[in-house]
Amino acid sequence: MRAPLPRQFRYFAFVVVALVATPLVALLWRVPWSRIHELLREQVVVDALILSLVTSLIAAGTALLLGIPVALILSRMEGIKASITRALMTLPMVLPPVVGGAALLFAFGRNGVLGSSLEDVTGLVLPYSLAGVVLANTFVALPFVVLTTETALRSLDPRFELAAASLGANQTRVTMQVVLPSIKGSLVAAGVLAWARALGEFGATITFAGNVPGSTQTMPLAVFVAMETDQDAALAMSVVLILVSLTVLVALRDRWWPAR
Amino acid sequence: MAGPVTEQPQPLLDTHVVVERGEFLLDVELQVAPGETVAIMGPNGAGKTSFLYALFGWLPLRSGWILLDGVTIEAPGQDQFVSPHHRDFGMVFDDCLLFPHMTVEQNLAFGTNVEIETSPLVELLELSHLLKNRATALSAGQQQRVALARTLLTSPKMVFLDEPLASLDPSGRIQARHLIRSALNDQVSGALIVTHDPADAFALADSVMVLEGGSISQFGSIGEIGEHPATPWIASLIGWNFFAGVGSGSSVQLADGTQIATSESGLTGEVTIAINPSSVALFLEAPVGSPRNKWFCEIETIESVGELARVTLSGPVTIYADITLSAASDLELRKGLGLWVSVKATEVLVQSSNP
Repeated sequence: MRAPLPRQFRYFAFVVVALVATPLVALLWRVPWSRIHELLREQVVVDALILSLVTSLIAAGTALLLGIPVALILSRMEGIKASITRALMTLPMVLPPVVGGAALLFAFGRNGVLGSSLEDVTGLVLPYSLAGVVLANTFVALPFVVLTTETALRSLDPRFELAAASLGANQTRVTMQVVLPSIKGSLVAAGVLAWARALGEFGATITFAGNVPGSTQTMPLAVFVAMETDQDAALAMSVVLILVSLTVLVALRDRWWPAR
Repeated sequence: MAGPVTEQPQPLLDTHVVVERGEFLLDVELQVAPGETVAIMGPNGAGKTSFLYALFGWLPLRSGWILLDGVTIEAPGQDQFVSPHHRDFGMVFDDCLLFPHMTVEQNLAFGTNVEIETSPLVELLELSHLLKNRATALSAGQQQRVALARTLLTSPKMVFLDEPLASLDPSGRIQARHLIRSALNDQVSGALIVTHDPADAFALADSVMVLEGGSISQFGSIGEIGEHPATPWIASLIGWNFFAGVGSGSSVQLADGTQIATSESGLTGEVTIAINPSSVALFLEAPVGSPRNKWFCEIETIESVGELARVTLSGPVTIYADITLSAASDLELRKGLGLWVSVKATEVLVQSSNP
């Protein structure tokens, strides 16, 4: 039981919540509900929806696979090395996504540092491809996984690892069977945050993967284009994005936030 | 750098631990014979837990050696280091550290391939009905038993218990001591027990190593240490009353015929009993009511030890009592004064000489 706050706090909080809700309500107000079925059946919309869901889920999964090992190492590092590594891993979250997309082009573009040799060896061309969308999404989502997981690992009592080792478990088994299951809640949170970031990703995607309907045009890009040409379609797609995000967050019942 | 001269029989554990942590230096030499249980006592920050961590390899030795059953498992001089999970030690932590995402059964099975449901140890520690529970849903006493069983099921050559009873209430402690003792007797060839409670050391250990400031300040049986404490800290903590006698039912007869009542039953043969001086009550008039142990004694000496007055009394028994300085002045205690001394039967701890 917490002590009650003065009434003014409640009024203030109410105003802030209302301020956040107002644009969403305004958007819902303008949605052409009678035509929504027809709008959402348009090929461009269906393609963008499927593309967004698929790429954001793959990106979230990839970010978890790449981010958890980094967080495990980072949580055992101290001092300036840790600060530099953590800053590097956080950068894609802070940078304007367009800059991130441009940086990806210089690295993985056809003339990029790694991109050209990648094409020579495997024939794989990342920019303006579906894989490029996933790469851009993973790039911006990765910091959420690393930071959330590292925080959870640092707050885990290190003696659980000692207890497991005293029972004869090697470090791999300790990690897989004790450490990671113990922070399961935070890993779910990390995955959801990464997925949410990937689903909304715009700047890095359009810079690195372009805006080709049916192959690299995700929902946010399609909404942006439709705002110029067909506002009703843009509104319909926005409703879908809002509903999907809200459903997931409510369904997870706050388990998506690590502090809970 | 060779280990120390091997004695007969070969000790189970033979170690000289030297560990540096900043300003703190831990320097402890210890041999544990097969079947022996050693209690480690000492003030906070004396290095008790560090010593256990060093044996496990979690704190690297600066110098010294660790031999278990004659095999070198760590010796910086010989570049020898067996990784912690390969050392045949088991450890029970003070707060159990049961894995919270697992059931009791999964916790127990973590370090062993033994069939948990049919394990005699699980039955001995009364865990059979708890196996499907979440580990975190148990009481402190139950968690303690699960932690002990989880460690013993891995069949370590030696087990370390760090404050095994600290989280239990007094009645739970007495029961837990019995269970730990029988589990240790059945399962392990040697044990180290870190404890703050002389009663634990008395009930569970064959000898006591007292650590103060990173080195051993006294080593011996609890009786020797209690009667001849080497430092003020030991005197204040384990300056207990010890009596040898012959058990008979629930009471013990001392050599001079004095009977001391206990809360045990079925006592036979030679036993040692221990009484905490804080449990010895003093009265100017004969106490009425339940105490079965009451004697009229005369004050020999009164010394102040910190906040307490230690009163030495002689009469049918020679016994120490620790009372607060204010109580001592209220009773107007002085040398030669005759007083009634009483001890509740439940405050008399009994250790069989031949368990």
